[in-house]
Amino acid sequence: MGIITILWEKWVEFRRDFYKITLAAMIAPMMYLLVFGLGVQNMSHGKPYLLYLIPGVVSLTTMNGSFNAIAQNLNVQRLYEKAFDQVMISPTPLWQFVVGQILAGALRGLYAGGIILLLVWPIHTGLIFNALSFLVLFLNGCVFSVLGVVVSFLAKNHADVPRFSTYFIMPMAYLCNTFFSTENMPRAMRSVLAVLPLSETSSIVRSISYGEPYDPAGILVLLAYLVVLTAVGLWFVYRKQNL
Amino acid sequence: MIELRNLTKQYDRTVAVDNVSLTIETGEFFGLLGSNGAGKTTTIGMLSTLLLPTAGEIYIDGQLLTRNRTDIKRKISVITQEYSMRQDMNMDEIMEYQGRLYYMPLRAIREKTDYLLDFCGLTKDRKKTVRKLSGGMKRKLMVCRALLTDPQILLLDEPTVGMDAFARRQMWDLLRRLNQQKLTILLTTHYIEEAQMLCQRVAMMEKGKILQVDTPAGFIRQLGDYAVDEILPTLTHTSFFATKAEAIAYAEQVSCNFQLRETVLEDVFIARSLRARQE
Repeated sequence: MGIITILWEKWVEFRRDFYKITLAAMIAPMMYLLVFGLGVQNMSHGKPYLLYLIPGVVSLTTMNGSFNAIAQNLNVQRLYEKAFDQVMISPTPLWQFVVGQILAGALRGLYAGGIILLLVWPIHTGLIFNALSFLVLFLNGCVFSVLGVVVSFLAKNHADVPRFSTYFIMPMAYLCNTFFSTENMPRAMRSVLAVLPLSETSSIVRSISYGEPYDPAGILVLLAYLVVLTAVGLWFVYRKQNL
Repeated sequence: MIELRNLTKQYDRTVAVDNVSLTIETGEFFGLLGSNGAGKTTTIGMLSTLLLPTAGEIYIDGQLLTRNRTDIKRKISVITQEYSMRQDMNMDEIMEYQGRLYYMPLRAIREKTDYLLDFCGLTKDRKKTVRKLSGGMKRKLMVCRALLTDPQILLLDEPTVGMDAFARRQMWDLLRRLNQQKLTILLTTHYIEEAQMLCQRVAMMEKGKILQVDTPAGFIRQLGDYAVDEILPTLTHTSFFATKAEAIAYAEQVSCNFQLRETVLEDVFIARSLRARQE
């Protein structure tokens, strides 16, 4: 099964770069938690700000972990190493390659998010992270992994992926319900931000962590992103003239 | 059998391959020769489905080759011009990845890897990552990888670039042996003597078009089997003759240093390239 082959390839990469990957996943989220959560200290929605922050930071960590695991790597394989050529030539169905990338990226995102949860474990926040939270985080990882696939196929040079991160991923990390609620933002901006995948993920994961009801429509939004972006990714591998 | 039918590839306004039709028989060792930009690598790119043709089709054993025909792709292995490998994987991992992509059982991958790495003298370096290998070692590893999956068709795009003379000879011997086992081989190369040594038929390509297909001996015969090089202070002028007697008769009248020799395929290639440029 081609999907297992791609997962194996990603496992080889993970095993080799274990320490680098783990450290990279920890540093930025821990800075956010230390600076905004413990350093600035504040209250939000009647709760310590740290409790507001943790679900958002975990969500954005899965986003970054998944996107970075796929986009940069695949871009290098395609444009610099040309290792992607071997996949194209091989009899492994290309849809399995794309699905393998999505699953591997989502697992890497989940790993990164899991590290943050482990690190905040001793604080005894009382936040709830259950199977549904992890499922939503996994789905979020899938969305950003396949976005990584699409961006890497769109990229024309090595700088394009970091550029996309600067223009799209970083603003999402700050604005999508992660560090603050979007409810006080201008209506038009709020409407746009509300339908972005990270906003939906943060919102659901936060509601679950507070033990409050969540809006299941958010899961449908994430699924819609996943379906559309996967279709785009498949179009690239099957129909793009020059890969 | 490989069949290219009216194959065309256009990039914006540049036609890289122009209405090429060609048949390569099963078990044939076929060479595609041409100067830089002639369209050789683009043709290999389409055969390996990295590039989609703008027009025309490719048939492998009578079946249309597309990106989703995994059954056809199973028959093909490619050695690309560039080192198309993960730089951070070691040789064993490169081979295992290839084997897995071709659905080989793990045991078969390991046994064949041991054999191929040993055959190419790479065993002691098998735990080195690709990044740490020399150019020649990377080339050999690409050959091992291509042969791992027992292909029926081998596409070789400049396979001996970066190899020293000894390694190149080893590679030639290996390719000849593989061809004797009925492996169909399509070779593009800048080393014309390589094509003359190995290929049963050769196509001369220029500006995206196939100019002519013939055996190396057939091409040479057209130009003349014997050559006289007149070595002038700033250039060498070569004349060709059908018989040795004609060549000797001409050489006797030459006033400068000269060399009488048999014509080689490279002479044909140079003569055609010059003619194409003049046109």
